[in-house]
Amino acid sequence: MRVSEIELVSPKSVIECLSYMAESDRTVRLIAGGTDAVVQMKEGKGRPEVWINIKGLKELRYIREEADGIHLGPLTTHTDIARSNLLKSRAEALAEASWQVGAEQIRNMGTIGGNIVTASPAGDTIPALYVLDAELELQSLTGKRRIKIEDFFLGPRRTVLQKDEMITDIIIQPQKPNEISIFQKLGPRRAQAISIVNVAVKLAMGTEPRQCLDGKIAFGSVAPTVIRAKKCEAMLKLGTLTDEMIRQIGKTAWKEVSPISDIRASAEYRRDMAGALLERGLYRLMKRWESR
Amino acid sequence: MSVQVEPKKLKWVGQRVRRKDGPEKVTGSLKYMTDYQFENMVWGRVLRSRYPYARIKRIDTSKAKAYPGVICVLTHEDVPGFNGFGIVIPDQPVLCHDYVRCMGDAVALVAAETEEIAEEALQLIEVDYEVLEPVTDPEEAIKDSAPKLHPSGNIHSRVHVKNGDVKKAFAEADVIVENTYYSPRQMHAFIETEGGWGILEEDGSLTIRCPGQYAFRDRLQIARVLAWNPERIRVISNPIGGGFGGKDEITVQIYLALLALHTGGRPVKIHYKREESVIAGIKRHPFKVTMKTAAKKDGTLVANKVVAFGDTGAYASLGGAVISLAIEHSCGPYYIPNVDLEGYCVYTNNGIAGAFRGFGVNQVCLAIEQNIDMIAEKLGMDPIEIRKKNVYHQGGLSSMGHRVTTSVGTWKTLDAAENCELWKNREKYKANPSEPWKKRGIGVATSFHGIGMGFGLPDYGAATIELLPGGRFLVGVCSEDIGQGNGTVFAIVAAEALQCHIDDIDVIQGDTRRTIDSGTVSASRSTYVGGNSVLAAAPFMIKLLKSTAAEIFKIDVDLVELRDGKLWAKVPVEGKNVLTYADIYQYLYEHRRETKVEGHFMVPKAEKQIGNNVGMPHHVYGYQTHVVLVEVDTLTGETEVLRVVSIPDCGKVINLQGLEGQAEGGAVMGMGYTLYEDTIIERGIFKTTNFTNYILPTFKETPIIETIPIEEAEKTGPFGAKGIGEVVMIPIIAAIVQAIYDATGVRINHLPATPERVYKAMKEQGVIYRG
Ligand SMILES: Cc1cc2nc3c(=O)[nH]c(=O)nc-3n(C[C@H](O)[C@H](O)[C@H](O)COP(=O)(O)OP(=O)(O)OC[C@H]3O[C@@H](n4cnc5c(N)ncnc54)[C@H](O)[C@@H]3O)c2cc1C
Repeated sequence: MRVSEIELVSPKSVIECLSYMAESDRTVRLIAGGTDAVVQMKEGKGRPEVWINIKGLKELRYIREEADGIHLGPLTTHTDIARSNLLKSRAEALAEASWQVGAEQIRNMGTIGGNIVTASPAGDTIPALYVLDAELELQSLTGKRRIKIEDFFLGPRRTVLQKDEMITDIIIQPQKPNEISIFQKLGPRRAQAISIVNVAVKLAMGTEPRQCLDGKIAFGSVAPTVIRAKKCEAMLKLGTLTDEMIRQIGKTAWKEVSPISDIRASAEYRRDMAGALLERGLYRLMKRWESR
Repeated sequence: MSVQVEPKKLKWVGQRVRRKDGPEKVTGSLKYMTDYQFENMVWGRVLRSRYPYARIKRIDTSKAKAYPGVICVLTHEDVPGFNGFGIVIPDQPVLCHDYVRCMGDAVALVAAETEEIAEEALQLIEVDYEVLEPVTDPEEAIKDSAPKLHPSGNIHSRVHVKNGDVKKAFAEADVIVENTYYSPRQMHAFIETEGGWGILEEDGSLTIRCPGQYAFRDRLQIARVLAWNPERIRVISNPIGGGFGGKDEITVQIYLALLALHTGGRPVKIHYKREESVIAGIKRHPFKVTMKTAAKKDGTLVANKVVAFGDTGAYASLGGAVISLAIEHSCGPYYIPNVDLEGYCVYTNNGIAGAFRGFGVNQVCLAIEQNIDMIAEKLGMDPIEIRKKNVYHQGGLSSMGHRVTTSVGTWKTLDAAENCELWKNREKYKANPSEPWKKRGIGVATSFHGIGMGFGLPDYGAATIELLPGGRFLVGVCSEDIGQGNGTVFAIVAAEALQCHIDDIDVIQGDTRRTIDSGTVSASRSTYVGGNSVLAAAPFMIKLLKSTAAEIFKIDVDLVELRDGKLWAKVPVEGKNVLTYADIYQYLYEHRRETKVEGHFMVPKAEKQIGNNVGMPHHVYGYQTHVVLVEVDTLTGETEVLRVVSIPDCGKVINLQGLEGQAEGGAVMGMGYTLYEDTIIERGIFKTTNFTNYILPTFKETPIIETIPIEEAEKTGPFGAKGIGEVVMIPIIAAIVQAIYDATGVRINHLPATPERVYKAMKEQGVIYRG
């Protein structure tokens, strides 16, 4: 398919979009910010016969708190997320993750829905969504289903999304007053960088100093999909989170990851960095908690 | 004949002058040549080799030629003249016919109605190859057992300089250090990739609009391939979206010329995608440098032994000159009496290397500065003290053994470093890292860089000045503005010499029809040579102005005075006793007289050549010291450069703003080289494909940079100026590596010092954060 011959349609509503997806006899693909889709198109990958441009669907761009959690529209941009006071205080890891995506221009164009569906093991918002217990609403012309983010990914660039389905809502659980979270990223530089390793951590703190009641840890770029580090999570509750304890938890991380070597980093370095980023993230979280 | 301006009376020179091309470049309103599209244009594309090394058995273009929308398909059979190019020896085929020697080799050209059709047609060209085992390690390549990539063998050039008695000096030395250093294959990464236009004009002449760094030489190289009279070819090479040496060699000019001969007068455009630029464009030579340096107890350097291998890839381009410059600068700006310096420029199948800002000096600076630092440490000496002790001064001998009669500012740059706020308060800066697991360190290093072509190579410049209506001037210097702001320098020099406002000077560059040959834009030479050329033309313009005024006043020319940009009669005359430049233009115009003058300048040379090494030594050098503060994250190995003090000895500053621009851009480019950038090639195949995995520093990595110019006036330079374009990126490389050592205790001898390399070295040495 020549790029110049691909058509583009811009539906006016979600229903119109879903009907087009269900009924078109040509291959179609959604395009939101286009920051992944266009790059792939140029590489000759994933060229459809028709682009369905959803960027204009205002009804899918929102951040609002409801009884069952904070709802994010899939067309919410990284800039929207990074600037949201609600998310900066109640979903720190997500606001920080979006803040570290690409650079200004990419954050203005790129959407959270696109980041999820691209399903890169290095996608920066995904670990944050894991620790914030995100659920996705998938909709097609025939109905809706709600699925946990952890059940969404099958492998690199593979998800459970059906051909006629799109993400129409993302629901996360806001941090409670005793909860804190953080996102840590290691890239080859500080902007415009694909993560070599990234990690999101959410902790529920007790009343004693550095007492952790519960926690969630999710790593990116160290396995075929984003993964939870359950051994490390269990260790969080073993005792006071002293610096020594944090170091031990960091050391344990390498048992939970199975990275590969590529042009950006060796598997060995990635493995060590999983621990290092977790360690760094926990130090920073403790500082944050203690200065509250 | 010369123009004399008293230093005190300088009006423009040394000021902060806004770039003439600044607003249009900053706002983006300037169009590069590759930004244009034309109604009846066609697209050109290049078919690249499929293998790093292979023999071509057969090329069949019939399917591609028959493809709808294809206008022509060309192979080596369609090259009318000599099928090769290369600045020094033309060993690179325009279109390969027997062997391909790197992934960037061109095998065929296509012109088509659209870019997509051209791309598809490339896929239809059938080339049968016999795949050969690539030669990828320079040290293996020079062995007899290695396949010969060129008839002359795989050693393109060897440089050897020997002075004194190295063996004896090492035997008698108190301290000796020896290390091996590896440096990356840096990419120019200009904002505008290689591209341009070829147009066969109605009169049968050819116009090539293609950004380049020496339009007249590009024209000669095109003419040789076409077997054409060069006068029938016009090359327009300005404006340019960045060069840095990467557009010094031919890029696409010849492809454009060949295609333009087959498109029936329709303009043909080639514009590389970034991916193609990565594969086809030249790169900086990766070096392996083994250096053994010795000193006495008091810190006096006594001996240096160097073996350097430069990987020039498949073709020579300027590789021989790069190795030569590296060896000339391998002892730093110091006097070391006993030296044995050997450099090899070696062919491999690893892409193509050529000119790049610094030209070999970057690679050796890392080695000599690191070795000196280690010596200082062993002797318990201060790093600035040991350097000050060993630098050569004006009138003294260099390590090449030649007397340096031109200005030498090294000592003063080191002194300024010693007295700068960052260095004086270094303990305070280091004491407070931003987080407990981070460590800070400070490094200092110094270097130098020759200006112009060096001994034995022709080196000249020329400029025109034309009086325009309204009394304005048009200054023409062919040397292109590749981003450094030399056009503004030429305007400043002209405004100063002609006593007019800078806004009354227009500058034209890079056009073989409208300007005269003034040499390359390379070798840190264009301020020095171009500035001198404008100063050589100015007296002719003044003479024209004065003699015309005399004619109008009807008095002797000696009785005309040029003052405050006007021409005054020193004796009573009929009518007005003062004339403006506009009056002079009007008079010349009415009398159909020439209003344009030329000036020519020969670059002065050192007294004699160093051994058999053409290009060695240089006569004039720019000097530079850098001080840097870094912070290393010991958990991850990330290095952040926090502050840089850049101290160039540039002779007299012509444009302070331009100098700062160079100092800042150079610092960031040097930082990229040290910490991030490398074009990775494995077994001849590019693993780095585009800017996704070629890591350039961004604004977020850019530190605070302070520039402290040292003005050690050079009497042969325009108003005392020297060149500065390259040296501003050099010592920072060693300074950063030393700062990392100062912070962590690990020395990184293999650049770039990526987080992974720094982390690994720290892990091996047990540098661990313990709360
Ligand atoms: C220079 C650059 C830097 C980058 N840096 C980062 C980075 O630091 N971190 C990072 O994680 N990513 C990065 N990216 C990748 C990209 O920007 C992000 O993944 C971004 O969030 C993608 O969003 P988008 O709206 O542009 O997606 P698009 O490209 O529009 O779409 C991506 C995919 O998602 C599908 N899709 C989009 N919306 C929906 C929906 N609602 N329902 C179903 N399918 C949908 C599309 O069909 C397509 O397959 C970078 C990209 C570039 C070009």
